[in-house]
Amino acid sequence: MDADIFLRIGVFLKWIGIFLIPVFLLPLLTLVLPNIFAGPSRILQQQIDRGTRWALYAAIVAAVLLVLIQLAVVIASYTFALSWTWLSEAVLYAFATVFMLGAASALKDDAHVRVDILRPRFGDHGRNWIELAGTYFFLFPIMVRLLITGEQGLARSWLLFEGSRESDGLPIVFLFKTLLPVFAVLMLAAGLSVALRAALRLTGKLPGEETPEKTMSSHYGA
Amino acid sequence: MELEVVLALGMFATAIIALLAGYSVALTLGGVALIFALIGLSLGVFPQSLLENLPSRIQGGAIMQNETLVAVPLFILMGVILERSKVAEDLLHIASRLLGRINGGLGYAVILVGALLAASTGIVGATVITMTLIALPSMLQQKYDPQLATGTIAASGTLGQIIPPSIVLILLADAVSNAASQAASQMEIGAFVVSVGDLFAGALIPGLILVGLYLLWIGLNAWLRPERCPPAADDTSSPLTNKEVMFGLGAPLLLIFTVLGAILTGVATPTEAAAIGVAGAILLAGLRLSEPADHRLVPLVYAAFASLVVLIVVRNLIDLRLGVESAGTLATIGVAIALLATLLFFAGLIAGMTILYRKAQLLPALKSGVHITAMVFLILIGASLFSLVFRGFGGDEFVADLLNSIPGGRWGALIGAMLVMFLLGFFLDFIEIIFVVVPLVTPPLIVMGFDPVWLAILMALNLQTSFLTPPFGFALFYLRGAAPEGVKTSEIWRGAIPFIGLQLIIIVLVASLPSLATWLPSIAAD
Repeated sequence: MDADIFLRIGVFLKWIGIFLIPVFLLPLLTLVLPNIFAGPSRILQQQIDRGTRWALYAAIVAAVLLVLIQLAVVIASYTFALSWTWLSEAVLYAFATVFMLGAASALKDDAHVRVDILRPRFGDHGRNWIELAGTYFFLFPIMVRLLITGEQGLARSWLLFEGSRESDGLPIVFLFKTLLPVFAVLMLAAGLSVALRAALRLTGKLPGEETPEKTMSSHYGA
Repeated sequence: MELEVVLALGMFATAIIALLAGYSVALTLGGVALIFALIGLSLGVFPQSLLENLPSRIQGGAIMQNETLVAVPLFILMGVILERSKVAEDLLHIASRLLGRINGGLGYAVILVGALLAASTGIVGATVITMTLIALPSMLQQKYDPQLATGTIAASGTLGQIIPPSIVLILLADAVSNAASQAASQMEIGAFVVSVGDLFAGALIPGLILVGLYLLWIGLNAWLRPERCPPAADDTSSPLTNKEVMFGLGAPLLLIFTVLGAILTGVATPTEAAAIGVAGAILLAGLRLSEPADHRLVPLVYAAFASLVVLIVVRNLIDLRLGVESAGTLATIGVAIALLATLLFFAGLIAGMTILYRKAQLLPALKSGVHITAMVFLILIGASLFSLVFRGFGGDEFVADLLNSIPGGRWGALIGAMLVMFLLGFFLDFIEIIFVVVPLVTPPLIVMGFDPVWLAILMALNLQTSFLTPPFGFALFYLRGAAPEGVKTSEIWRGAIPFIGLQLIIIVLVASLPSLATWLPSIAAD
């Protein structure tokens, strides 16, 4: 396989990303002109959530694999005194996949920890504004930064089809490293969905939405 | 003051204010740090290369390839599976019925189960809520003093942090171990090694003493003021059968002791033990939820337990090392048996998962496991960005200087650091404090001559106390959320006070007798 093709695909994806930038204005447009933009916003938000759910399923598969492979490692080394680098690396890869692909879904379902001291006092209105501000000032910049800063290293990794440093390791380090931009893109999309929902709620254009259960148990502290 | 230090402090202050807005903690930490890094860059006081390193840091051994932390999702999965399959709930029901007939019996049950449940999950919120929902109504019905009841539940819920195999101890071990190697390089001595096993071993004795103190307090109440914790008046329900006790109490106990024992005796690494723990949880949950319709799968689950025993026996009787050339007939037979047992084990595991799936518990458990894992690691990502920038401004040196300038020498520094962590514990979770504060204050304290394991245990006890302290303690928040309206918040607050006293006793005890924390790791290491 020619590495060039993948680099071209990478550049292509980057341009798609750049062309998609205006989409990130949609929550703000919805705030200003709810009657025009509420419809597209709702559709986009639902599509993003669907994609996020697929990422969650992938993360769940990774979690099951993590358990099974780690058990295989334990039994092989305890019973037969065998160990393979590629199997141990597979454990690490499954481990990283769980949270890199699961983070967006956790964002969607509001499973990330918040400081709850003042939160109840802000009311629904205030909370939606905080959600919007947090998404634009914190989430988007971090993820965009990760994408930009990681670009060079990723291109190098794909160019070499970077494999493990060990001779009996897995030859897919370049795929492993791709988890980071995938994480960033998933988080950007999930963040957009959160912002869209906040904007729709602020404009009262979110009828019949299944309100996410705000039970205490959804906020596990340490 | 230099501009860098002003920016570092400004960043810290901004982060705290921004956190109070209630947006995701992980993203707030990372976002504030990024904004300040950009300000620093534009003022020319922040090294450009630091931010460039961020992706490789995330992809490297600190986060995505962190072998120590692989145990975290595994223990989380073990906890959620035990929780979803009601194994944890059964434990509380059975313990309270066994002990309910004596004065203070329910109190003892809550403490003991808290210690065990916690050991399986290590998540305060989950434990406090489960116990509040199950135990509090029956305690109130039995005319327990609401103060004593809520205090006991809140305190028992926090036991999860200090009693191994708690998840926060794994995270703390990772942070302290990094801090220790940093301190070692400053002191130009050989590296300290702080493993998860060390911290588990170190936390065990203080944790058990703490459980003992809690039990003693209930005992004292039962003796002097029995009206605060009366026994069950009329137990009309059918008495527990031996099978229920063995299955509901014995099996989870066996699982927890196996996992913990394997780690403490050094037979298995925490990650390996955690994997066994997940397998055990899946098998137990499969048995617990099985119905007559599953009669084809249940024997497989039992077979999986048996095959584990077979594996251990065969492995210890016969040399199965496949690498060895001189494989005799005996070894060949042994290998064949072991392979068969392995196959059977995985088949049983899949049978267990199938039962869970049929009861619609598998996917929710996995989903919640993935979400909790993602929550922890997103904080790790956000906090490493924060620490990276804070260090870029030289904030770590400032903290070290600050600690050195506290009057009272190294003890003054220790008390200062502990007080700050205690206050931060009011609104930050243990996880955030581990990722943000521990890396800053621990290296200087280790350089001053404190033992890393002992420091870690003190910090864990300190934060545990913070979570119990009104008005902001986490455990009290969760309890308030799950408790019936009839229980007054002031009662919850006053109920926590005696337990805070007990916490202070254990902190002073461990502080003055470091061997309580360091003795077990020193013998476990050999």
